[in-house]
Amino acid sequence: MVTVFNFALLISFAIFLLPKRWKYPVNLILHLLLIASTTQWAIQAFTTEGAVIPLGISTWSGPIQLVIDRLSAYFILIINLICLCGILYAGGYLKPYMSKKRAVFISLHLFSFLWLHGAMLLVTSMRDGIAFLLAWELMSLFSFILVIFEGQKESTLKTGINYLLQMHLGFALIMIGFLIADNQTGDLSFGGVASYFSTQKNIPLFLIFFAGFGIKAGFIPLHSWLPRAHPAAPSHVSGVMSGVMIKMGIYGIFRVVSLLQEGLMAIGIIVLVIGIVSGLMGVIMAIMQHDLKKLLAYHSIENIGIIGMGLGIGILGKAVNDEALMILGLSGALLHNLNHALFKSLLFFTAGNVYYATHTVNMDSLGGLIKNMRYTSIAFLIGALAISGIPPFNGFISEFLIYSGILHHLPIADFSMSLVGIGTLLGLVLIGGLCIYCFTKAFGMSFLGTRRSEIIHHTEEVPKSMLLPAVLLIGLILCIGLMAPFFGGAMVGILRQLTGINPSTVLLEEVADALRMTSYINIILIVVVAATLVVRAWRQSRVKVTTGPTWGCGYSAGDFRHQYTPTSYADSLRQLVDPLIDYQRNYKSFDEKEIFPPPKTFDTEAKDLIEEKTVLSWVNLITTYLPRAGVAQSGLINHYLIYPMFFLIILGLLTFLNVI
Amino acid sequence: MLALILIFIASIYFPGVIVKVKALTSGRKGPGILQPWYDIFRLFKKGSVYSTSSSFVFQIGATIYFSSVIISALFIPFEETDALFSFTGDFVLFAYLLGLGRFLIILSALDVSSGFEGMGANREAFYSLLIEPAFFIMFSALAMFTGYTSFHDIFANLHYDNYFSIVIAMIAGYVLANITLVETSRLPVDDPLTHLELTMVHEVMVLDHSGFDLALIKTATNVKFVLFSTLSANCLIPQSLALWERIGIFIILQVFFAAGIGWFESFRARNKMAMNAQYILSVSAIAMVLIFVIIILKNRI
Repeated sequence: MVTVFNFALLISFAIFLLPKRWKYPVNLILHLLLIASTTQWAIQAFTTEGAVIPLGISTWSGPIQLVIDRLSAYFILIINLICLCGILYAGGYLKPYMSKKRAVFISLHLFSFLWLHGAMLLVTSMRDGIAFLLAWELMSLFSFILVIFEGQKESTLKTGINYLLQMHLGFALIMIGFLIADNQTGDLSFGGVASYFSTQKNIPLFLIFFAGFGIKAGFIPLHSWLPRAHPAAPSHVSGVMSGVMIKMGIYGIFRVVSLLQEGLMAIGIIVLVIGIVSGLMGVIMAIMQHDLKKLLAYHSIENIGIIGMGLGIGILGKAVNDEALMILGLSGALLHNLNHALFKSLLFFTAGNVYYATHTVNMDSLGGLIKNMRYTSIAFLIGALAISGIPPFNGFISEFLIYSGILHHLPIADFSMSLVGIGTLLGLVLIGGLCIYCFTKAFGMSFLGTRRSEIIHHTEEVPKSMLLPAVLLIGLILCIGLMAPFFGGAMVGILRQLTGINPSTVLLEEVADALRMTSYINIILIVVVAATLVVRAWRQSRVKVTTGPTWGCGYSAGDFRHQYTPTSYADSLRQLVDPLIDYQRNYKSFDEKEIFPPPKTFDTEAKDLIEEKTVLSWVNLITTYLPRAGVAQSGLINHYLIYPMFFLIILGLLTFLNVI
Repeated sequence: MLALILIFIASIYFPGVIVKVKALTSGRKGPGILQPWYDIFRLFKKGSVYSTSSSFVFQIGATIYFSSVIISALFIPFEETDALFSFTGDFVLFAYLLGLGRFLIILSALDVSSGFEGMGANREAFYSLLIEPAFFIMFSALAMFTGYTSFHDIFANLHYDNYFSIVIAMIAGYVLANITLVETSRLPVDDPLTHLELTMVHEVMVLDHSGFDLALIKTATNVKFVLFSTLSANCLIPQSLALWERIGIFIILQVFFAAGIGWFESFRARNKMAMNAQYILSVSAIAMVLIFVIIILKNRI
């Protein structure tokens, strides 16, 4: 298996040499090789206590080996699943580009996709600091190449560079974290971090790691790359990036959290608050979007927020020594990783289908797609229900675990923990409600009703191969909803190994019972719906069923302009949350003297206030003052020659004053 | 099972009582108590007209709404007698199941591409988003108070042994009554009898439903009404009484509740549309009071 793994990564360079029509099939086979080898290791790690696989390659710091424990194995399985769906989807999605793009770009894209997959696998299984950082860097670089696939557009290229810069900021923070630990312990690895935590104060180093990994994960206020990069990337890439790549940040945070020794109360509160803010702001910003893919990107932030909330209450559970809070919070967070990977990649793939068929993802001009794209619509609907945490789908299960954790703790909580618990609960409930608001908007505006654009394209369903990954994902989404106890048990297995705690059987029985009942009720729900539909069909067959125009209050000449638009749908919420967003209307009002006014345009835009206040305000400050340093750049060689002399004088002075 | 039977009985007379009281207070004789159900049965037998712009979502919307409400009814206990489904944290699933129905009914409203129904859908999504926290705060407060997290255990352990508990029961009952009004689209948030599409919330969403689907929606709304009023009755009925006494009190309470709604609706105008958000959020604020009462009661400060 090691040879297969190495072979797949090494032979990948051959993609550049192959003729164009062979590139995709070979790439698919290489993906399958990677998946086959690592899945086998992951399953081995799950059934036993872990696996160490030497890759047979050595560097200066010793032989490289993959260390796979249950946490790594779990993430490896998620990566393999979503990457498989991604590459299957890419087959159809890339077809129109095959003739348009030059061969070298196609190869580069496919090659990067394979290596992104490989790099993510390496990230989850490297414990050595340098190897981990290398894998992390590879992941960022290859995802950058994937994002700028349509780099001929200037905006895409700009987004890509923004992404690359932010990823390197994260990389630097993680590296600093490792180096601080190395400086104290002489061990540049996760083991070194662990021994640092056992002797030094935990909070500062944790915050450095949290910021570094948090940029990847997209916690607010470190999220600003996400709503740009996801819409710019092709859909199979955004599906994989949002589905699994941002989870690598969560993986890193989980790894570091499992090593923490003290200061848990403060750390828990910080993670929890950031989680709640990310969740709420993510979904509020999502509601304000017109662009379907941007809306989904903001939802990634929201779901990362939910994971953060689970993680936060898990850490707090450890801090206050409540097993139930800890186990349920952490397992909810862990399971939500898988759940989000499933429904978010499903949603991105279906949004990709919409783009494929209509060449736009702007909801203002979509609508009525359900008539021509039946299967895509069903897939999007299921994804929308699942992401809103609605039974019988999977999103509910992980949110339910987090809810149960809080509810378990509330009766025994002290004053501050009661407030924290109620606050978290409130956050989760609001996120749930806002999600329903958002996805009724997203689905209703893009798929239902009639087309909101004057230019009516003929849209048709995408090829079957692009629907295949959706079928796979929907199957798993239902599977988690209907077999919840199994997945809950698996999460507890991971946590048992990761945190070393052994939860009481009473608690596990109780949770298993609740999950079992949930699954039964989900099945009963499906049965009742089916039965009612049968009765309905029987009744309908015996009475007169006709069709007619929609009720328009007696006005029969209405057209698509009468429909609610995405902006108007979001407006009632917008009035409530106005202070939190930077909402702009761009239009020119009619002048009094304009007797024959020309056509006017009106558009609205919700800018990210948090990004403006936290990131852009600094950047703007720098970009205003930095040009003044250009005075030094006079273009005269004698000026440039004098600068080293200044430097030497300063150096001499500093030495003279014993500063250095 | 007892709860299911009681819900069934109560939902037979509940809508009729409201209509009757409204008629009586306005000086009319009013229809019989069972008239709302006769109307629904007639609808079940009628044919349907579907909008040309609607799709299969419209066809399944009402069915799923109905099923979700029916399944939710199986969660409701009658004090310490068992509900059909009972497990720790079951009220979370209860609320999310109702969310499923709401999701689909909103989508069916958007499916007919009408401006009015879009408006109703938007308002329904917005108001239910605002009322949801009140429900959760209230039940987590009761969970804090009793130490249990399922409907059945919460109601079985609500002991009214001191004056604090009476305060708790009163606030909980009041909050639940308000939640009932918002969830079932009654005054002061929504007026089911309004004749103007622009000011409707729930009614405008189902404008294009007819026949079997409309009957399903109306049935579900009636059942939902009784679901929530059963929950608030559970908060108010003292445990110490014998079972038959409690059943008697339950039925009388439901009549009072329905009559109260009829009375209230006869004399109260609906809120201004822009005021609704504040009104609904104030219910959550009152539920927060419950939390603080319990924190004080349990000596956590």
